[in-house]
Formats: sequence, C-alpha cells, structure tokens
Amino acid sequence: MSQELRQETAEQPESGLHSKGLSTGTVGVVGLVVIGISCIAPAYTLTAGLGATVAVVGTSLPAILLAGFIPMLLVALGYRELNNAMPDSGTSFTWATRAFGPMIGWMGGWGLIAATVIVLSNLAAVAVDFFYILLAQLTGNQAIADLTKNLWVNIPTTLVFIAAAAYISYRGLNATKVFQYVLVGFQVAVLLLFAIMAFTSSTPFDRTPISFDMFNPASVDSFGAFAAGISLSIFVFWGWDVTLTMNEETTDPAKVPGRGATWTVLVIIALYLAVSLGVLYWAGVGQTGLGAGNEANQESIFAVLSGPIMGPLAILMSLAILSSSAASLQSTMVSPARTLLAMGYYKALPPSFAKISPRFMSPSVATVVSAAAAAVFYVVTRLISENALWDTITALGLMICFYYGITALACVWYFRSELFASVRNFFFKFLAPLIGGVVLLVMFFSTAVESMNPDYGSGSAIGSVGMVFILGVGVLLLGVAIMLYTKWRHPAFFRGETIKTR
Amino acid sequence: MNLLVGYTADQRGAEALELAAALVQGTATPSLTIGIVVPATTPFSAIYPGGDHGFNSILSAKVDEWAVTALAQVPQGVSAKVVARSVSSVAEGLIELADEVGAHGIVLGGRKRHRAGFFMPGAVANALLHASPVPVFMSSPQALASLRAANGQITRMTAFVGDRPGAREVIASAARFATIRKVALRVATLVADSDVSDPATELDPHLVRTKAFLTELTQSMGLRASVEVISRQSLDEAIDSLAWEAGEIAILGSSRLAANRRLFVGANAQRILGKLHVPMAVIPN
Repeated sequence: MSQELRQETAEQPESGLHSKGLSTGTVGVVGLVVIGISCIAPAYTLTAGLGATVAVVGTSLPAILLAGFIPMLLVALGYRELNNAMPDSGTSFTWATRAFGPMIGWMGGWGLIAATVIVLSNLAAVAVDFFYILLAQLTGNQAIADLTKNLWVNIPTTLVFIAAAAYISYRGLNATKVFQYVLVGFQVAVLLLFAIMAFTSSTPFDRTPISFDMFNPASVDSFGAFAAGISLSIFVFWGWDVTLTMNEETTDPAKVPGRGATWTVLVIIALYLAVSLGVLYWAGVGQTGLGAGNEANQESIFAVLSGPIMGPLAILMSLAILSSSAASLQSTMVSPARTLLAMGYYKALPPSFAKISPRFMSPSVATVVSAAAAAVFYVVTRLISENALWDTITALGLMICFYYGITALACVWYFRSELFASVRNFFFKFLAPLIGGVVLLVMFFSTAVESMNPDYGSGSAIGSVGMVFILGVGVLLLGVAIMLYTKWRHPAFFRGETIKTR
Repeated sequence: MNLLVGYTADQRGAEALELAAALVQGTATPSLTIGIVVPATTPFSAIYPGGDHGFNSILSAKVDEWAVTALAQVPQGVSAKVVARSVSSVAEGLIELADEVGAHGIVLGGRKRHRAGFFMPGAVANALLHASPVPVFMSSPQALASLRAANGQITRMTAFVGDRPGAREVIASAARFATIRKVALRVATLVADSDVSDPATELDPHLVRTKAFLTELTQSMGLRASVEVISRQSLDEAIDSLAWEAGEIAILGSSRLAANRRLFVGANAQRILGKLHVPMAVIPN
C-alpha cells in the first residue's frame, strides 16, 4: 500500500527529512498513560461535560459513561488501522478522501475542524471562568468570580486566552515531559481528592445512595436521552485514541501502545466513576440549589460544587481546571491549523492556507484562521445563547459523532478489498469500525433531530428551532457552502488531481 | 573555507546566505552548507485530536522547496549543499551540523532588537553565542547594506579587544580570516572616561599604555595591523566615533572569553553589538 499523496517536489535536494522527525523509542507505558490523560484533560471534560450529561440521563450517569466508551473504542480501532496504513497523512480529511472521494473527505475534514474550533472556544471559556474563580479565591473577594458573568469582561478575556494559545502554537513552543507529568499528576490527585471529600462529607446537599441501577444503561428513560448521553460521553473520552496511534514513539511498538491505551482507559474510567458517583452522592440530580440537575449548575459543575465540597481546598480544583484547560487550549489549537494546512496543501482550500512560517515551522495562515474562527464562534454563542458553554458542548458532541462516524466508515471502505483476508482484518478493519461508525452516525442524526426542539440543551432557541441544532447543523452547512465555493474557484482537489481515491 | 548557514526561507535567511557567500568567496575552496533545522516533535507535546495531520510530510516537501530556493541564491563559484535536520532546538541542530560538515563558522541572519536600550540577539543567536564551538557570524539589514556598498567584497577585519592579555585569541582569529581573505587587519579598543578612576590624570597614561600593549602584542604575533584606541566620554560615543569602511567585518570575543575583560562584560558588549552597522563575528573561547 504505497502513499499516493502527491508532493510537489521539483527536485530532490538532500533534505533527509522524509523519515518523520519523531523521536523513536522514548515513551514507555507510564509515559503513554500520561500523554493519554493529558489529551483527555479529565478535569476540564468533567467540569464541562458532567452537568450536561446529568441533565439528559440523570442518575444513569455512570452507565452512560461506561457505554460511551464502547463506540469510542470501536472507532479508535479503525483509526489505528488507517494510521498504520497511511502514517504520514494522519487526519480524517486525507483518510476519508482516499476512501470516499473529495466531497465526503472534505466534509470529514470540516467536521474535525468544526469540532476542534468549538472545543477551543469552550476550553477558553472554561479557562476564563476558573481564572476569575481562582483570582476570587486568592483574594477572598467573591465579586471577582462574578466578573466572568459580565460579557464586557468575559468576552475580551476569552479572546486574549485564545490569542495567547494561537501565538504559542504559532511559535511552535512544546510542552516538556516534566511539565506534562506534573500537570497530569496534579489533575488526577485533585479529582480523587474531590471524590473522597464528596463521599466523606458530613453535610451532603442531597445525599443520594449509590445503587446498582446507576450502572444499568437500560434504566435511561428514552432512546433520545441515551443517544444524547452517548454523544456527550464520547466527548469525555475524546483524546483517548491518541494512545493507540502512537507507535514509533514508544519503546516497544508491539506492546506499549496496547498496554498504555488499556491503562489510560482504566485510570480514566476509575476517575470518572469516582467523581461522577461523588457528585451524585453529594448533590443528587435535583433541579434546585446545588443539585446536579439544576440548569444553573450545568455549564461548569465544579465551579458550583468544589467550594461547598472542598472548602478552602477548592482553590486546588480551580488550579487543576485552569491548568488543564489552558494546556489543552494550546495543544488543541494545533489540530485545526494542521488540518486546514493539509487542506490548503492538497488544494481543497485556497492555497494561502498551505503557508508555513519559515522561522517557526508552523502553519501561519491556518493558525490565525483557526483562532479567529474559535473567537467568532465563542462571541456569537455567548451573545445569542443563555447558556453558551452547555450548548457548545452539546454541539461539540454532535460534531465529534459526525467526523468520527465518517472516519470509521472510511476505514471499512478503504480496506474493502482485504476485509475478509484474515480474522484480524475482519474484526479490526471491518466489524469494529463498522459498528462504531454506524452507532456514531445514528447518534449524530438522532441528536440532531432531538436538538431541533427549542427546549433542547439550555433551552435557547432562534425562531422555534433549538440553539444546539442551529449551531451544529449551521456549522456543517457553512462547511458545505465553503466546499462548493472552493470547488468552483479551485477545482483541482475535487477533480481528484491532488489526492487519489483508492 | 566552508561555512554553515542557519537558513530560514525568508529575508533573514537570504541575508545570512549573502553574507556567507561574501565570506567564503575568494578562499581556496569556497563552500557553503545550508542548514535548515526543523523542530523535532516531542511525544509529550501530543497534539489532539489527530496528531500529525500529515504535517511532517507537508513540512518535508516544503523544506525541499526551500532548499531549491536557497540553492538558487548561491553565487557562481561557490559550492553549496542543503542539509535538513530535525532537532528539538535550532541552536543545537546548527552546532551538530557544523560539527558534522566541519564548518569553519556558522552564519545567521537577524534583526536588531533593542530592549531597554540593550541589544538583544535572537533566541537562536543567543544560544549559539553561549555554546558554539566555532565562530558565529551575524548579519542585519544595515550590515548587509555596508557589505553591498563594497560590491560584496570584504575589505577589512576589525578585532575588538580590551587591554588585557586575553586579547590575543580574538586578534589571532581575526588575523586568520584576514590572511585567508588577504585583507587588512585593524585592532580596535574602546575606552570610556569611567574606565579610569580619575580621568583628568589617569586617562592619558592609560591610553598610551593600551596602545603600546596592543602594538607590541600584534608585532609579537607577526601581524601587520593598525591599532586604534578610541577614547570618548562614554562608550556609546566611542563606538559612534569609530570609522568603518564599506565591506568591513567586526570580530568580538564571546561572553565567556569576556569574563575577565572589561570591554565585553555584559552591557558593554551588548552596546557594541547593538550599535555596529557591519557584519559581526563572535569568536568562541
């Protein structure tokens, strides 16, 4: 299976670079677990995703978290196959193009860009919230924490955070090993501390005993709620697949990725269960006061609960979430920039997107565009939605289901001629990605239809159509429009001249 | 002579290349190694979602394009090759490459940046100045203008020294370049009034001593060099009053070397680097 991505190299000067510039064999199992956890950013995903998930599934939260991992696993197995077959392209855009042709490939790339742009705006917003909460805790002046509710403070601060992350990723500054270990260790320790303090608290807000039913997916009220819950819990595991796709970087490519992925997911699931059970036990799912079902608490559950549960130690939680979301903000910024760069390079977008800064060796136009898109998305959502964080997370779940679904099916179609060549192929290239892809696309359509209801998510609506639907589907339609425009102005990619369909 | 050019595919890179070509032209075997250092990805700065996104293959194709552009800028008669290297730090990569290709020096393009009145070399130049085992040449747009005014011909080497024994190494290095290029050598030292405790009585004897010391030193090294001792009220004025020929190169000792010599300690050395409008070389210890 040879690479047919064409590179426009006139001559072949002595660059010696074509072997990828990856440091080989430095990451062991522990290192991989740290990388996996840092990509998942549990402190951030829990504060952003837990409330929204409780809102749809109530006390079945643990069950949904467990069930949400399954499609993630199935899709990630397909990812691994594609990554092994085309290690140098490494993105939904090129994979889906090679499997399904330019149009679907383009939309797969757009889905990834949209998802990352949405998560960027959410990460920045969460970082800003906890930045002010932390300042309030440090100074003992509660009024500072409320500053984040003032749009004239909130929006400019968020834009500054986004700009800073874009600048750092443009300058190509990298996180070091020590930095990641400290960040991840601190995050995990604080989350565990939170769970322990929730269970040992003498004054729970609404003590809810842990029951077996909480782990039973069948106890969710409706299929719609189940689907919405799954698409949210996909978000909390988003990042895990990175452990499966790291090969050359590990000390033993045959063993380390598998073990690292397994340990990562065990640690993460244990952490999620501990924290979510702690939240349910302490706060219950009531819709009033500190209850996890209270709409006012849902956009950032720890912002509300860490104070009452952890007392003065709540400052640690603020630090953990601020550091985890700020670090993710920077590392996530690279993703849409690189996909835009790849799309520009293969002529799927105007050629200026393919510009690389010769000094910093990073995408220039693409980085600025990603940051600007995240900023615009944030400002628009913040201005028109009553509960922007909540709605963006739900829209994000939609988008992840969309591009993951397409990528998983791309795996099946790409390998169509060899699916039944061996038992291994049958499971990893056919069955797992097929089920995962179909499940995610079903979740996507189901959630999209549900979200047309104006009461969906935070209950914001334009006309009589739900905000989440407008955000999610609007972004996809915008993609279609840009695609058609590009097809008209720069048809080379759409004629299959730059990337060949297999 | 073989020089390694720390190349970036922009104006700075073009300037570095122009200076490097001027430096090697006329030597016995003029050759350039054009080094492109690509930052290595470290696994601990994992990018999510999607990781590489095909970036490294696009980047390597881009590096090939840049290599073609760079080679096109090398003048006739100078042999050149491009070497790309993926290392986590640019300075480290350049030092490695210089060692591998046996380069006599590293050439960088740059911009003058001033902070609170002090010259700040770029991050790469700064790192190189502290670690490079070979001389580091630095250009700037003004420096290149001076070189171009001499039609790209190097006309003279000026070694900046203090009045202490350590001056010998800097003079020797400058003399080696001057001999290879068959150009004149000048030894310059800058004296500010504050260098002596009582300028009214001590300054003149100090200047005479310094001049005698440097003249004797160059003669003992078998060199024909002009010696200039510039004395002004402040260092800035002294720097400004030094006359420069078009096509001249300034040579300074590195900061490590400077530790025991007044002129190049900290702020003073930075002042000189910041005020010069000719290409500069810093010689390691």
